[in-house]
Amino acid sequence: MSPCMSPGRATFCLLICLLPAAVSADLPGTGTDGSDRAPVTAEDLVAGALDLVRGRTSYTELTMIIHRPDWERTSALVSWTRGREDALIRFTAPARDAGNATLKQGDKMWTYTPKLNRTIRLPYSLMSQSWAGSDFSYNDLSRTDDLLRHYDLTITGEREEDGHRIYTIEAIPHDEAPVVWGKEEWVLRDDYVLISQNFFDQSMELLKRLETLEIGELGGRVMPLRMRMSKLDEPENYTEVVYDSAEFDIDIEDRTFTVFSLQSGGR
Amino acid sequence: MPLKLLTALSVRNLFRHRRRTIMLLLAITVAVAGVVVTNGLIRGMQFDMREAAVANLTGHLKVLAPGYLDDPNIEKSFELAPGWQPDLPAEEMEGWAARIRIPAVIMSERETRGVQFVGVDPAREDISFLGDVAITGEGLTDGNDRRVLIGVELARQLETDVGRRLVLITQGLDGRNREAGFRIAGLYDAEGTALEKQFVFTGVGALQNMVEAPVVTEVSIKLADELYEQEVKQQLTGFFSAQDVMDWQELEPQAAAMFVYVDSAILIWFFVIMGALIFGLVNTLITAVMERIREFGMLRAVGMKSGAVIVQVVLESTIIMLVGVFVGVLVGWVLATQWLGDGIDLSQWAQGVEMAGMRSVLTPYVLVGDIVLVTVLSLVFGVLAALYPAWRAVKIKPLEALRR
Repeated sequence: MSPCMSPGRATFCLLICLLPAAVSADLPGTGTDGSDRAPVTAEDLVAGALDLVRGRTSYTELTMIIHRPDWERTSALVSWTRGREDALIRFTAPARDAGNATLKQGDKMWTYTPKLNRTIRLPYSLMSQSWAGSDFSYNDLSRTDDLLRHYDLTITGEREEDGHRIYTIEAIPHDEAPVVWGKEEWVLRDDYVLISQNFFDQSMELLKRLETLEIGELGGRVMPLRMRMSKLDEPENYTEVVYDSAEFDIDIEDRTFTVFSLQSGGR
Repeated sequence: MPLKLLTALSVRNLFRHRRRTIMLLLAITVAVAGVVVTNGLIRGMQFDMREAAVANLTGHLKVLAPGYLDDPNIEKSFELAPGWQPDLPAEEMEGWAARIRIPAVIMSERETRGVQFVGVDPAREDISFLGDVAITGEGLTDGNDRRVLIGVELARQLETDVGRRLVLITQGLDGRNREAGFRIAGLYDAEGTALEKQFVFTGVGALQNMVEAPVVTEVSIKLADELYEQEVKQQLTGFFSAQDVMDWQELEPQAAAMFVYVDSAILIWFFVIMGALIFGLVNTLITAVMERIREFGMLRAVGMKSGAVIVQVVLESTIIMLVGVFVGVLVGWVLATQWLGDGIDLSQWAQGVEMAGMRSVLTPYVLVGDIVLVTVLSLVFGVLAALYPAWRAVKIKPLEALRR
């Protein structure tokens, strides 16, 4: 089947909550000197990254590159998000995909295809399917903040790099958690920029990885600008997301996140 | 003319042409034995298919919420009073089970599949195939066991193993998704991979917790004998007035149709073989009559009635048929129960066999009723076959016959 089953919640921050960047120094655990602050816990780091985006809004323009051994496809998208619950993503290019859109309201999702003029509420059986042919599944898009709920987090490594502290966090899912991974490993910078996220199977073999290839400033925040999702056993199959522009904390009307807006093509 | 004398005449006539009689006996024996063996195999297949249909979580009777068959989901469910059990005498019922059976998506790290997620009380499942599968690892301990039992084939497809966690996603009563991780208790090895790919089992209590509703989607009842089916069905319909009560023929219409078809297939097969045999019999009897023209003429001349002539020819045919059928049934029965008693291994063609809903070992099943049918019909055929030669014998004019 499709190579993108990713029931792990870990990619939540990528598209829906694509703002794992912190700039304000008053957030707990930030600061680069590292001398006068309280010891950082794994929960703080993850919660900090999550709290950072909670209740805020964003408008971003992105490029998605789906790479396969024989071909490569580049699409352009725009997305609006509000908190971690609501999101609307719309393709703007290439022409044949333009207008295709996905709406998320809480844990419900719809897709709209203008060519068919059809809106489909996604049933649970489709949630693990590939989203728009990429290495992300609908689940990857819809999952929210379960990392704190379903995993035990521990910091397993710390290092200094380019004036930042880099933390390695190991996330082991609880026994009954709806998570297929044996464990996840997060590499987070002290300003909450995600460096990489690694997914291990239950024999603790590395299976797939989301990594940040480029970090920069956009919309007034330091954030990953280019990320790549790839499977370790199929290195030629990957999906890259590049952030072209971003605005944060803007006013977005309520009607943006409705099925009507999904179909009408406006925002 | 006394029957005793006629019988003696017939027997003596048969012994007069030993070689011809033996050839005829052999032909009858082979035909009858062949019919018995093939009937046994066809019956074996027939019962196998019914057994498989009933064991395939169907039971003889099933109580379902209206509309479940068209759209099986948790909304088409009902509640059972705690401690409920079918009000049936023990000698009529072999067992019963209440289950939740809903579609779900199962995920491992690498693969995703659609399955039927079935909540069972393992102690009650000796009425279904789950009762006698081989299990690697552990089986479910009770109805509250919240581990899962999956098929060997499904485990292979999901690239997972005993002790690993799988995620199952299904729908709750409120229409929202429910998902949870389940550890694999064991892998079951069912007859054929279709079942293994289809069913994932867990405790019924665990599944009720997951969908947050104390409901079941089906009550399945296996009867001690199919005889009670309609009677018990009526009784259940009275009790479960808001639900549908269905028998296995309605639930597995294909298997039921095959079951009925096999009854006629057995008869058709019998008539084909017997038809071929009858022509040989008629031919031989006519020869026997024709070469005894002088004898018959003589007997008629001294006063034998035409009726007695007919009886004598028919008796000849009946005696040879009787002996042939007896030996044939005996040979056929020995072949079917001893030689093929352990069954024919069809595992080479496992996939095709599975499609027909059968097991991979075909064991002949000899029914007494079938043997009685074969015997009676053979004797009737024997009499019928003798009628034309007898009529020829009657037509012999004593004067012409004696003048030859």
